[in-house]
Amino acid sequence: MSADTIDRKNTGLMTGMLVVGGVIAVVTFAIVAFALLTRGHAAFNMDANVAWGLPIATYVYFALMSSGLTLIAALAMVFGFKQYYPLIKRAIWLAIVTLVAGLAVLAMELGHTFRMLWAIPLNLQIESAMFWMGVFYLLDLIFMAWKFHMMERGDWTSWLSRQLGIASFIAVLLAAGTLALVFGMMGMRPFWFDPTLPVWFYATAALSGVAALVFFTHLSYGMNRSRMPEALRMDVEGPLPKLFLSLAGITLVLFLSRMTTGLYANAPEVNVVWSEYLLASAWFHFAVWGGILLPFVLLLARGMRNAPGVQMLAAILVLVGIFIERLYFVVGGQVVPLFKGTWERGLVEYAPSPMEWVLTVMGIALVFALYALGERLFNLSDSPMAFAGDESVRGRQATVSS
Amino acid sequence: MAKWGMVIDLDKCTGCQACTTACGMENDTLPGENWQDVLFYTEGEYPSGQMKWLPRPCMQCEDPSCVHVCPTRATYKDPDAGGIVFIDWDKCIGCKYCMIACPYGVRFFADEAPLVEPDLKEVFPGSGGQLWDPPGQSPDQDPRRGIGVQPKGVVSKCTFCYHRVSKAPEGVPDLDEDDPDLVDYVPACVRTCPPKARFFGDLDNPDSNVNKLIANKKGIRLKDHTGNRPQVYYLGAGAGIPAFQPKS
Repeated sequence: MSADTIDRKNTGLMTGMLVVGGVIAVVTFAIVAFALLTRGHAAFNMDANVAWGLPIATYVYFALMSSGLTLIAALAMVFGFKQYYPLIKRAIWLAIVTLVAGLAVLAMELGHTFRMLWAIPLNLQIESAMFWMGVFYLLDLIFMAWKFHMMERGDWTSWLSRQLGIASFIAVLLAAGTLALVFGMMGMRPFWFDPTLPVWFYATAALSGVAALVFFTHLSYGMNRSRMPEALRMDVEGPLPKLFLSLAGITLVLFLSRMTTGLYANAPEVNVVWSEYLLASAWFHFAVWGGILLPFVLLLARGMRNAPGVQMLAAILVLVGIFIERLYFVVGGQVVPLFKGTWERGLVEYAPSPMEWVLTVMGIALVFALYALGERLFNLSDSPMAFAGDESVRGRQATVSS
Repeated sequence: MAKWGMVIDLDKCTGCQACTTACGMENDTLPGENWQDVLFYTEGEYPSGQMKWLPRPCMQCEDPSCVHVCPTRATYKDPDAGGIVFIDWDKCIGCKYCMIACPYGVRFFADEAPLVEPDLKEVFPGSGGQLWDPPGQSPDQDPRRGIGVQPKGVVSKCTFCYHRVSKAPEGVPDLDEDDPDLVDYVPACVRTCPPKARFFGDLDNPDSNVNKLIANKKGIRLKDHTGNRPQVYYLGAGAGIPAFQPKS
């Protein structure tokens, strides 16, 4: 990569984000680490009834966001939709960053993180979905890092580069799918038990991924499209918001199907969770109607859809909404206590502890800091079209406007 | 090798919780982390409402879902140890997936906020990796079977008091607390049960009393539809847990 392809117009903002994000990440890590060393996992509010709480929900949120970003990048890397090329380098970097943040949060949640490094590979429990989730996300991370390295060297279309793109896509399908099945295969947890859960995870992963891509792309250019490279600007004005709209619509349909099925079910582990936990919460209503429906409506009209402010608003709504949905999904599978019957008077009450929120802030700060680092070190708006000259861009302009 | 099983007669159980207390003392569990518990619940409504209770140890399932999900094989079923399901505390990473997967809710992560005040982890601070140093701590320690005081960051569960059962003479059909030669090998909850509602023996031995009880008194396993196939059987009327119903 030549130095003149690096976009250095926004280094001030990115430097500030890197410093502030880095400081917050380090401070929050220190706070959580100190709490874990002094109080153990009593610093968290999980117990025998709710074994997985906010930290797992945060991990799922970031891991699936990463998967969604790779799925979007696959549109160009695998399926040949070349109009998405200007987006994929940023998408892959964000996918790496969000996966690292998710894994960092997960590492702080486990009882023995370092033991995992030898206990999982040496014992090879291939019956466990969690084992495969780890294998596939590790492969996903390796392939993405390798693919990014090749793009950074300007190699977008060699045989090896294309194979790496395909490998990333397959790895991410398997990774997000097995993450879904970590929940979906639990027959004793009817709220989660669903062989089609990977479909829901793919859809919401892609939605949160496209929202993250829109958010960070606009952030990098200070909401000013005129500062974007021509090819990227055309994407932001056409294919990207259309993709955003489509994914919001797909997610909305899938959600309505899940909600209807859940409310129709007689089993209290499903019905009661929907009626008295999810839909009884104003936060959950905000997550669905504000975080999925409203963005869908905002993006429906072409004029609105192409406005940077509307795109940014829709992206923020989705990012917040899907986060809330992840928390309610993870906890929802546990609020009806197992094998307690009427011994429990009500749904299990769980609210994340302050330390759990600090851990989530650590993950968010890590994403901002590492993204800014990427903007400082690399030209994330790079694409093979940058070398193809203005003529091809003009040709695409004509295609997009038609 | 024996296949250890437990039979609990609900027509005899008085719900006194002596088993729960004995288990806690025998296994040095923190208050509230009840490997063995008695669940109290109601079934139905006035005028036919019933008050019920159910003693609940680990079911030591024949096909335990907790074993399948454990990514490190820390949870394992040992056919050479009577088919008891153990947790190797040296392998457990504290992911808690087994707690999610156990249909009976009998797994515990004691490294959590205290369930009962005062917090005994502060009153008797742990040393050597133990969560706490209980006074009169049991000398039996076998971390590879999850026996002893629970360390930090791992999951724990009932072991059918394997540290006692494993010392029983080879080939005995039952471990009966009324037999002076065997009383020291009987699990704590069985030995302490005042109405003698619990029985412990070899499910693979056709002459064992537990097999006779299961056959003659129509023993059942709970949540059998999950396919886990417990090695704990219940006798008497009303074995089962009514469906969850939130109370307003």
